[in-house]
Amino acid sequence: MAKKNSQTEYRKVDEKVQNFVDEDLTKLRKAIRLRPLLSNDTHQFATTLRLYLTCIRNTLEAAMCLQNFPCQEVERHNKPEVELKTSPELLLNPVLICRNEAEKCLIETSINSIRISLKVKQADELENILAKKFLRFLSMRAESFQVLRRKPVQGYDISFLITNYHCEDMHKHKLIDFIVQFMEDIDKEISELKLSVNTRGRLVATEFLKQFI
Amino acid sequence: MAFFNRVSPALVEILNKLQSGESLTDFDHNLHEYGSVRYNIQASASSPQIVNLSTWMPPLSPEFSSDCLPDCALQDVKRVYLDSAEVVEPSKQGYMLTLRIDFAELPQRKEDRMKAISEISSLHAVILSSQMKDMLWNLEPRYMGNGMCNPIKIVHQLKEPFFVIKMLEKTTVIYPMRFKDDTDVILATSFFQELVDVSNLEAHYKAPRCTWSPIPPLELRGEPFQYLTTNGGFVSLEIFSQHIRGTKADNTVWNLLTFISYVKYHVKVIRSARIRGDEDVKKHQIGGHKNVKKLMNFSRSKMFKKRYTIITNKIKKFHYRIKIKWLLHRFRRQWLRVQKIPLLRKYRKLD
Repeated sequence: MAKKNSQTEYRKVDEKVQNFVDEDLTKLRKAIRLRPLLSNDTHQFATTLRLYLTCIRNTLEAAMCLQNFPCQEVERHNKPEVELKTSPELLLNPVLICRNEAEKCLIETSINSIRISLKVKQADELENILAKKFLRFLSMRAESFQVLRRKPVQGYDISFLITNYHCEDMHKHKLIDFIVQFMEDIDKEISELKLSVNTRGRLVATEFLKQFI
Repeated sequence: MAFFNRVSPALVEILNKLQSGESLTDFDHNLHEYGSVRYNIQASASSPQIVNLSTWMPPLSPEFSSDCLPDCALQDVKRVYLDSAEVVEPSKQGYMLTLRIDFAELPQRKEDRMKAISEISSLHAVILSSQMKDMLWNLEPRYMGNGMCNPIKIVHQLKEPFFVIKMLEKTTVIYPMRFKDDTDVILATSFFQELVDVSNLEAHYKAPRCTWSPIPPLELRGEPFQYLTTNGGFVSLEIFSQHIRGTKADNTVWNLLTFISYVKYHVKVIRSARIRGDEDVKKHQIGGHKNVKKLMNFSRSKMFKKRYTIITNKIKKFHYRIKIKWLLHRFRRQWLRVQKIPLLRKYRKLD
């Protein structure tokens, strides 16, 4: 009986999530339709990013209603169901939000845990290297982040795993803020790293050529 | 790093040890550097102030190979070491040059003495530079049938030869760039793009023009296939007469010889995740320029750590102790406390 109840509840949440996604997609479509009216590319870039992040925020807000749920397979164990995936009735449909081919976010939800996997924008090979190194650097220090997964899900650059314990221990809205802020910052960080590598290269090149003058 | 240092650190150490009079026995030491340069340092216990320094190095270009030192290099060595050492002729067997250093003739002031020893330790650089200078100044352009000039292969580092193409109005130096892995290739490619951009700026119109191409340039047509297979492409520098005139010549020649090491060092610094200390920064400065000192301090690991701290601080901020735990504890204490049963503790005397 309890199982049935939880299933209906989760179906409702699922529908809610889908509604949010649909809403955001409509906004996104509208933005694309308005494309010729936009004055410059930067504005458009900011708009698409905002829409993308809002969509993720709304999805997370809807999906992050986690509760304590003991493992159904092993007695006296409590494991994140999103990782185990042993009981399909405890899992929701995963939501994939894509900004473009290179940037996407996969949100997998279960009764007691949620897994958020991100694919970060990598415009060229240099950005690819920097993103890989930076995200590896963060993953190596995953214990400091508490919600960061040590190994990203296949096909993604970084993954977060939020359990019901995290939600009990931390402010839910702040957790969502953190994820969204992280997504906003990561692009900025990688661009900054790329800029500093190029700046250094430019200065080294200038120093080299100066010696001939 | 060592490749673009003129001074040989090992030689400096040995000469310093000898000049301080630490060794009281006969001294005969062989030293190998960069895989191909050989030094022999000899000193006797009877006259510790006099040291014989012999050296052998492979010819800069296989086309001009000979066992003895070219005349131009010999003249340059004599000119540079006029005050500090004299050339012994004939040189020690198996070596191309022998220098006799008399420590008694070196300046007495410590700083000047150290400077003189560093100068002697840059013998390898002096010989290489003079050979290269000679090549750039005096070599006649050798035209091939198709109107192109014949490239001369220069081997400064064993596995990394480069090519000099002497033409009437200019000299083109082409470096085939090879790197260990793809990451190095990407970092180096971005550097080459910057180098090409900077060389095309108006402010650097006096500097040599740089070009980079992923495929071998036309000038290298006909060269063996092994020299034309690279993963980092080909960098070309166009040197004009103004660059090898007067005092600039030494700098130009040394920069050309050490260009590959310079690029590799830049790539290594970007790649390294190690945080450099201040001492390291001092050691690794190139030319002592202020900007370069700042650059040497650049470390990706440092940048990562800074960003990582910002993110972890964010996590710490919104982490809080939940009040429910405390409430539950209080609730348990108040309501779920096991009542003491006084009756159980009392003994009743049985009759």
